[in-house]
Parts: sequence; structure tokens; C-alpha cells
Amino acid sequence: MRTITFRIQRYDGSRSWFQEYVIPYESGRTVLWALIKIREEQDPTLTFTAACRHAICGSCAVRVNGHSVLACKTSLDELLKVFQTDVLEVTPLSNFPVIRDLVVDWRPKTERLKTVKPWLIPTQAGSAATGFAQSPQEYRRIASPTDCIQCGICSSECEQLAENPRFLDPFILNRAYRFAVDSRDAAPEEHIRPALESDLWKCLHCYQCVTHCPKEIRLDQEIAYLRQQTIRMGETDNPGARHALAFHDDVRNTGRLDEVTLPIKTEGLLRTVTRRLPFAMRLIRTGKVNPLQRPRPVRGIEGIRKIYAHVKEKEGKRQ
Amino acid sequence: MLQYDIVVVGAGGAGMSAALAASRDRHLRVAMLSKVYPTRSHTGAAQGGINAAMGFRDPTDSVEKHFRDTVKGSDFLADQDAVEFFTAGMPDIIRELDYYGVPFSRDEHGRVAQRPFGGASSPRTCYSADKTGHVILHTLFEQCLKNGVEFFEDWMLLSVVVSDGKLDGIVALDIRTGEIHPILARAVVIATGGFGRIYWTRTTNAFNMTGDGTAVCFEAGIPLKDPEFVQFHPTGLARTGILVSEACRGEGGYLLNKHGERFMARYAPEKMELGPRDLVSRAIETEIREGRGFGEGLQAHVLLDLRHLGREKILERLPQVRDLALTFEGVDVIEKPVGIRPSAHYTMGGIHVQDYRTCATPVEGVHAAGECSCISVHGANRLGGNSLAEVVFFGKYAGLGAQETARHRDFGNEKRVVAEAQRWARVFETMRKKTTGHNLFQIRDRMAETMWYNVGIFRTEKDMVKALHTLDELWEMYQDAYIGDSSVRYNQAFVHYVEVGNLLKLAKAVTLGAIARKESRGSHAREDYPHRNDGEFLKHTLVYKEGDRYRLDYLPVRITKYPPEERKY
Amino acid sequence: MRLRYGFFPGCTLESAAREVMIATQKVAGALGIELVELEGWSCCGASHIQDVDEELALALNARNIALGEALGAPILTLCNTCTLMLRSAKQRIDEDEAARARVNEALRAADLQYRGTSDITHFLWVLVRDYGLENLRKQVKRPLTGLKVACFYGCHILRPPQVMGFENPWNPRSMEMVVEALGAENVPYGERLSCCGFHAVFPAEREVLRKTGVSCRSAREAGADVIVTPCPLCHMQLDMYQPDAQQQFAESIRIPILHLPQLVGLALGFSPEELGIRRHVVDAIPVLEAKLARA
Repeated sequence: MRTITFRIQRYDGSRSWFQEYVIPYESGRTVLWALIKIREEQDPTLTFTAACRHAICGSCAVRVNGHSVLACKTSLDELLKVFQTDVLEVTPLSNFPVIRDLVVDWRPKTERLKTVKPWLIPTQAGSAATGFAQSPQEYRRIASPTDCIQCGICSSECEQLAENPRFLDPFILNRAYRFAVDSRDAAPEEHIRPALESDLWKCLHCYQCVTHCPKEIRLDQEIAYLRQQTIRMGETDNPGARHALAFHDDVRNTGRLDEVTLPIKTEGLLRTVTRRLPFAMRLIRTGKVNPLQRPRPVRGIEGIRKIYAHVKEKEGKRQ
Repeated sequence: MLQYDIVVVGAGGAGMSAALAASRDRHLRVAMLSKVYPTRSHTGAAQGGINAAMGFRDPTDSVEKHFRDTVKGSDFLADQDAVEFFTAGMPDIIRELDYYGVPFSRDEHGRVAQRPFGGASSPRTCYSADKTGHVILHTLFEQCLKNGVEFFEDWMLLSVVVSDGKLDGIVALDIRTGEIHPILARAVVIATGGFGRIYWTRTTNAFNMTGDGTAVCFEAGIPLKDPEFVQFHPTGLARTGILVSEACRGEGGYLLNKHGERFMARYAPEKMELGPRDLVSRAIETEIREGRGFGEGLQAHVLLDLRHLGREKILERLPQVRDLALTFEGVDVIEKPVGIRPSAHYTMGGIHVQDYRTCATPVEGVHAAGECSCISVHGANRLGGNSLAEVVFFGKYAGLGAQETARHRDFGNEKRVVAEAQRWARVFETMRKKTTGHNLFQIRDRMAETMWYNVGIFRTEKDMVKALHTLDELWEMYQDAYIGDSSVRYNQAFVHYVEVGNLLKLAKAVTLGAIARKESRGSHAREDYPHRNDGEFLKHTLVYKEGDRYRLDYLPVRITKYPPEERKY
Repeated sequence: MRLRYGFFPGCTLESAAREVMIATQKVAGALGIELVELEGWSCCGASHIQDVDEELALALNARNIALGEALGAPILTLCNTCTLMLRSAKQRIDEDEAARARVNEALRAADLQYRGTSDITHFLWVLVRDYGLENLRKQVKRPLTGLKVACFYGCHILRPPQVMGFENPWNPRSMEMVVEALGAENVPYGERLSCCGFHAVFPAEREVLRKTGVSCRSAREAGADVIVTPCPLCHMQLDMYQPDAQQQFAESIRIPILHLPQLVGLALGFSPEELGIRRHVVDAIPVLEAKLARA
């Protein structure tokens, strides 16, 4: 008889260990089915949370073989096929304190969530007695971000958060975005600025959040939007914005990136000279960078500049 | 010792609405207890929408029509003054939710979009794609965060302590630490949801829908009203019982039997698939019983066909429905029909609320709202879209009611609350240390099985008496149950032990109410009494628990406008 | 069968990662893959222009894709990020009529038109899907027997799957399959699918250097001789910044980093020098000489 082995990470408040459970294989089952089967037939002390069973309550996120998933909607067959194995390792979400076994503590996240004012700051156009008018197009902008079920998978997968607890969890950035683009919200900056102040530019562009989000929310595009808005708000005096603007300007000049001037544009001449000199010498020595060789404008640069002008003109008209 | 002016128990739509309303008075300290993280609450699972006679989609719609539809849908068991109050207030609630930021789908004029729903004479169900409950729950949570409501998540209600018909306080378990706390409160709002889990494996309900608040109030002497009325949702997924939104019928889905017939023509020739839930559920079960379904036994089902709606409409209006069918049945509804059959969905009965304006119960200081309560606006059968409406609407009025109560009431008897907490601490200790006894999961599953087969969609006295014996036997076994976890920290086995105890008490009340109601009305279908009997049973059931004794009583229905008539669709 | 691609080198192949250009041309020549460099291509935006002006980034990449369409060939890139940026733009324009109209209006200024006829692919995918591993195996002159290789995919060749879609991002196999075809030995290790952090090395220097160190250490501890990556940006991060990352670690994290075309080139019989391996900051020559001499 085919079996599946689960190696589950246990934690009792002081001690952490892996425990193995073997269950008979059944086709068409989910991770949650297996966890329940183990708890009810083998070990009533196995602790995990689950509620709705259909991916709307966000209770049952765990990591399986290092990937965060909703246990309720994740097919065992699929996992066994992808990983070419009959052994699955189940661990609690990363980047959360663990309470017991697979149960994590959400309290610190709720506190951080509050920093982006995760509530509508209503415009004068509406009132509690009248509600608002909002067009279907305006609704569509908030349709996807309000799919978020706060399951914590994006937090668990975030590679910046793993190194830097100051960084806001992607679901929190999603919440900031959700209000910033809501036509009923009077103060987008009040949602965006706290994100900027919590290392918005440190997102690594690793796309782990987008890849694992059970609601397929395009957190990458939301983060890009938040960054664009901080630049529009005039917040350009930081390495992230300067770095992005350097690309933007270089391409207009020559069509290509200028690697030699990039650090100077991003960090300033002083910091580059004092901090980057050993680095630069290393690159010059190996021939990786030649400070004398700089990009020349590409063929068709005039066309590129016309595209810049065209896009900017259109955007100017839209605003 | 913890002490709050108002404690709201349960963080779903009703609880959060209550906390939000109550917390507007900055002089009152409001705490919110929830067994789960607030946004995990089952309100989030409501897909289709929330009813309010805005008249946007159909200008001829009116509060009056919503009132009439609800009374008719209830099979005339709803209290009409409460229904009128409710339906008249709903348009304001929608505007308020809009102002809080609920992302409603919109019509071309920028107004909240509305769709048709079962049992409604006009398309009045406001919605957000098929995640209406989800977005309302999250928006209410946001507003509670804004108002600084204090959340105690992972706390479970164990007792409501009452003396001389007045609230003293409550006792709750901090699941994380295993500490049992006495909590003093001037007023409490119970908003802990329904108890569909008495049918454990055949329900659309989340695992945690175990009727804790209802059972605790029942134990504290507050009667249960109309517990025998349990709604079976017609469109549960065949294999798992997971709910497929009523929106799939609202948007024009067909129900087909194995001959490919739209069989609803036989049961509700005018409304067809848009007939009310009880009627559609019985129609499906009848098709299955008479051999026109697919499959056998627990696998039997009929088909829901959405193909004719077209890819675009399915993706735009019913994306979650498609996702559910794909994930849990492996069927893409754009290409194939999906198997469905009824699944226990909603408990119309609950904590007896005697003042619909404040949601006050017979015990001074205790208010209740949402599915855990019975006001009654749903009577013998709830209409789709009235549940989200009820939780937000009556949640708010319960919060306001609790505010009034808290302003003029003092704290109760501290000693009794402490003594009750100590009693629970001893129970916890005993259960942790116990090394043998009956398997708790088996007790639970036997309860579910007996309820499904004997007190389910079709009922007879003989079957129900059998269920009663089984329940009594299970209650005996429960006294010697073994939970198998000695941990103090996050002991879910103990939590589940308390839940199963709550379910057993509620299941018995459901069965007693159902046996005594010798008629068929709304969701309560007696094969031995197939007709409604207004002469004897146009009244609410009240079940009291006095120690181990259960006692039945009745209460007249308040009829202000619509005299009972035959319910035809 | 003659494979022909519109070649989009990306900025780094013109400068800091010129060795990829060298190695790729050698390898393509040896395998008979024709690479026609798109004349006048511009920077893909590298996810940074996208952070300033999404519409502009879309139009610029539409221009790049239009250059490829004019050649009537699929576009091939060597850089994960270029692949993602071009594919993202293509997907957006193909799915959104309004975006396509806007983009074409902008391109008119440059006398170009986006038609949506060219696919965008990566060198790794071309090896696996278009050229084929069996054919590759046949071309191997010097099997890399005994060389222990840790594959480092980099994010933008896998994620997001909605845009990339070549293989399952949870457990991709294409790199390992190429390594195996070349006769080298795959070394499993923990950071195989991690992010190198390159795109945030300025704003998040501390975190990124730490990640660099963890990735290098993980491969080293697993017993790998080299890390190989299909992306020049990952290479820059893991190689150029490795000495800086080392400063955050007490134990040695040292491990040479190879570009995928270099690994292929070695198996095809080119010398490390011919493949520009001397240009790396972390010297890969000693380990290659030791291992490959033995083979």
C-alpha cells in the first residue's frame, strides 16, 4: 500500500522537534485532509488552525517543503508530483512567532498593519447617510487587492522581511495600496507614507509573494505603484528612488544604463568615493568595469526620446 | 481581574458591528473576545450578497416588498415588527458600509450593484463579486482597528454567569496560555455564530461553528428559540459539502437531474431555480430519493450547470464559484456542470432575543446578535442575502443596546464569576490529566451521523426519537471522554472537548423542538406531518435547560401585517 | 534545423558582464545557434524604470519587442530580469487592448509598431526546449565529470509563474538537467531558489549582502565547487559583492560563480580564458583546473 510520510515540525513553547507520521495514500485529497487525519487518528496533540475549508478565512497557511500554502486548497497529488516524493515536510509559516506546532501569533502583524491606517479616510463626496458614487472602473482597481484574506503566506515568503523585520509585510503594503487607489479615499498619502518610512524601497523584487499568494494578487505591481506615488509626492531623496531615477534618465540619454555613474547617482559622489572605492578597484582590476568606456547613444535614440516625450505628455494630460 | 463596560464575544459581522457601534462612546471600554483571529470568522464565507431595498436595479423595489418577501420566506414564523424594523433600516446600513469602505460592485451610475436572489421578488441583493461577506468582514475589522477596539483573539467563551436573571460576568479561556479568566462586564453581546456543526461532516459551516455562545447562554438559563429550524443549502459541493454561492442560481444557473431536466419546473414552476432554499433543497433530495440523481448514498447528487452563462460572465460575476469547483471537485464550470447536493448551512434558531431594538435577552445585561441569536426575522427559513444583512444590522443595534445597558448598569457579583472560573480550571485540569476514556472524535461523528440521517432534511417522529436516544447515550459517553492532550499551552483538544459538549446540548434541543413541532414549516419538513398547521404551531418554540432537564415552552408569533397564507413560488 | 533568434543582450552584457557576451557567442557558434543582435535595443528598465513610470517602461519594452518582430524571430535574452521585463510587457500589451493602442501610439513617434508576433525566451529555455538536451549531450567534448555544481536559478526566470510559465517555480529542474547533460554533478542545497537581492543592493545593502553570504555559504557547505547561474545580475551579486558579503560572516563563504553559458562552453571544450572566466572577482580557475584536469 502506498503511504505518505509527513515530517511535521512540532513546538511546545520551549522545545522544537520533527515528528513523523505515516498515512495511507488517497487520491484527490488536500494537505488539510492529511493534517486532520493525523490529528484525529494518530495524535490529538498536533496543533494547527483551520476553519472555512475553502480558502476564504486564511487560517490554515503552513509551509510544505519550504513553500507556504493554504492547507485547505493544496492538493496532495500535486505536491507529490511537483516534488517527486512521498515525503512531505510541514513547518509553520516563517517570519511569525510560533505559539505551538503550526500555530503562529498574529498580534505583532496586527500592530504593524495599523501603521498604514488600514481604513478608508473618506472624501467629502460621501457621508454615512448617503454612501458614495463609485464607477465600475474605479471599483475594478480595488477588486483584486480586496481579495486578500490575510493568510500570512506573503509574509512567510518575503525574502526582505526575513532579513529585516522593519519591512512591512506584503499584505500590509497591499492594504496601503487598496486605500491609496480607492476613489473614496481622501488621503492616499496617509497610507503610502508609512510604507515609504518602513523601507518600501527595500523590496528585493523576488516575486515570492506573488508566486505564493493564493489569491494571485499582483503585489509586485502594487509595490511598484506605491513607489511611483512616493516619487510623485516628491520623495526622491533616498537611494531607492535615486537608483530608479538613474535608470530612467540614463535610458533617455543613451538608451542604456551607465554602470559607472549609477552608484554616484544613487548614493552621491562622497559616499561612492569613501565606501565603494575598494569595490570599484576590484572591478577595474578584473576588467569587469572600465571607467573610461561609457555607453554611447544607441541607434534610434531619437525615437526613444520621442517615446519619453509622448508618454510624459499623455500623463501630463491625464493628471 | 479583567473588567470592561462591554464585552463582545465573537468577531464576525455581528460582533464587529456591535463593537463598532458600542465603541463610538469613548467613555466605554469595549473588549472583543474571539476564538479565532477576527478575520477568520465565518461571515467571510458569505459569498452572494446582502439584501437591502435600494431600488437601484429595480426602481419598483421597496422596503415593503423586502418585508413581505422575508415574512413569506420565513413561512410566517418571523416576528413581523422585527422584520419591518430590519428591512426598513437596511438601505441605511448599505450606505454606512459604503462609507466605511466596503468595495461593493457598482452599476453604470456608480451605485451599489444589485442582483436577483432566491425568494426575492426584486433584485435587491447588494454584492461585491462573490466575496461580499469577506469584504464586509474585513472592512468592519478595519473600522474596529480605527476605533481602538481591544481584541482578545484565541479566547474562548466558557460561561455566562447569571444570578437573579442578571449578568454577573463571563468566564473565558485564553487558549494560548491555558489560563481561565473571570471577566466582569456591565453588558455583553454574544455574537458567536451558528451551530451547523451538529451535522459535522455534512455542513457548509467552518470547523469552528460550534454554537459556543448559544450553548453557554442556554446553560445559563436563557431559552433557545426555534432550534428545530435548520436551513440546508441546496448547493453544497457533492464531495465535501462546501458551499457554492446562491449567486450561481441568482446569475441564472440551471439545476439538472440525470435526465437533463430542469427539475425545478416540478416544484416551483415560476421561480424555477430561484425558489427559496428550503424548497430547492427538498426538491434536490426528492430527485435523488426518486432515482433521478447521479451516484449512490452519500455520493448522490444532481448537477449545477453554468455553461450557458458563458466564460466572461462566469469569470466576472462568479470567479470564486469557479475556483471552488475547480479546486474541490476538479471541474471547470465553464466547460462542465458540477455535482451538488444540499448541505447544512444555517441555524435559524438561537438565543432568545426578546427586544429586537436592543437585541436584549431575558437576562439583564446579555444581548445577542447574528446567527447565534433568534430575534426572529428568519422564522422557519432564512432568505439568501438576509444573513449578512442581519449580522450587520442587528449587530449594530445590539452594540447600541449594550451601550445603553452599560451606561445604567453596575458590575455584577464578582465572587460568582471567580467561582465559575475556578470550576472551569478544575475541569481543564481533570481533562488534561485524564489518560483513558471515550474518543472525543467518535462521539462527535456519531452525533453528526445521527443528526444527518434522523433530524435532517426530511424528518419523522420515529427517526427523531431514535436520534434522541443516541444523543443521550453520547452525552453519557461524553462525561467520560478522553482528549489526549495534557498541554496547558494552546490545547485545541480541550477546546474541541468544550465545543463537542456545546454541540451535544444544542443537537438535543434541535431534536426536542423538531419532535414537538408536528407540522411542516419552512426548513422543518415532517414526512409524518407534511402540512403547515397554523392552528397549533404558528408559534415560536422555546427550549429551556434547567440542569440536565430540558423543558419546552412556546411563544406567540407577532403578526402585524401579513396574515399567514400558503407559501407558493 | 537552424535556430535563429533576435538577440537582446541587455546592459550588463555590454559592460560588467561582458564575459557572458563572449561565452554566449562562443557557445552559440559551436552549437550552430544564430544570434542576430537587435539593432538599437534599449535597457529593459530592470524593474527600476517600472518603479518610476510604468507606462514609459511598457512603451520602451514594446519598442524592444517591435525590433525583434521586425526580424521575424523570437527574442532571446541572457538575463533573467530582461526576460521578465520583456515578457511582462508583452503579456500586458497582448491582454489589454487599450494598453496596446496607447503603446502603438507612442511607438509611432519612433516609426515602429508592436504586433505581438515574437515570443520572448531565455538562453536556458532555448537549450532545454529548442535545442534539446539530447543534442546538447552529443556536442559535449569535455564532460564536466566530477565538477560539483550548485544551480542558482535567480528569481526572474521562475517568478511570477503567471508571466514566466516555463516550469514549476516550486521545484524547477531545467538547470539541473543541463548540468547533468554536461556531465557535471548536481549538488542540492538550501538556497537554490533564493533571491540574490541584486535589485535592492543599494537601498538594502546590509540585507542583500547577508543574503549573498547565506547563498554562497549554503552551496559551499553542501560541497559544491561552483555555483552556476543563468542570470548575469545574480552573478554580479554573488561574485562581485562576495568579498563585501564575506565581512558579515566569520566562516568562509568563498565559492566561485559561473555563468550558465560558461559552464556549457567548458563542456564544449573551450578554455576558461576563452570564456572570460578570468574576469570574475572570485577566481574560478584553480578549481576548474583541478577538477577538469582530473577528468
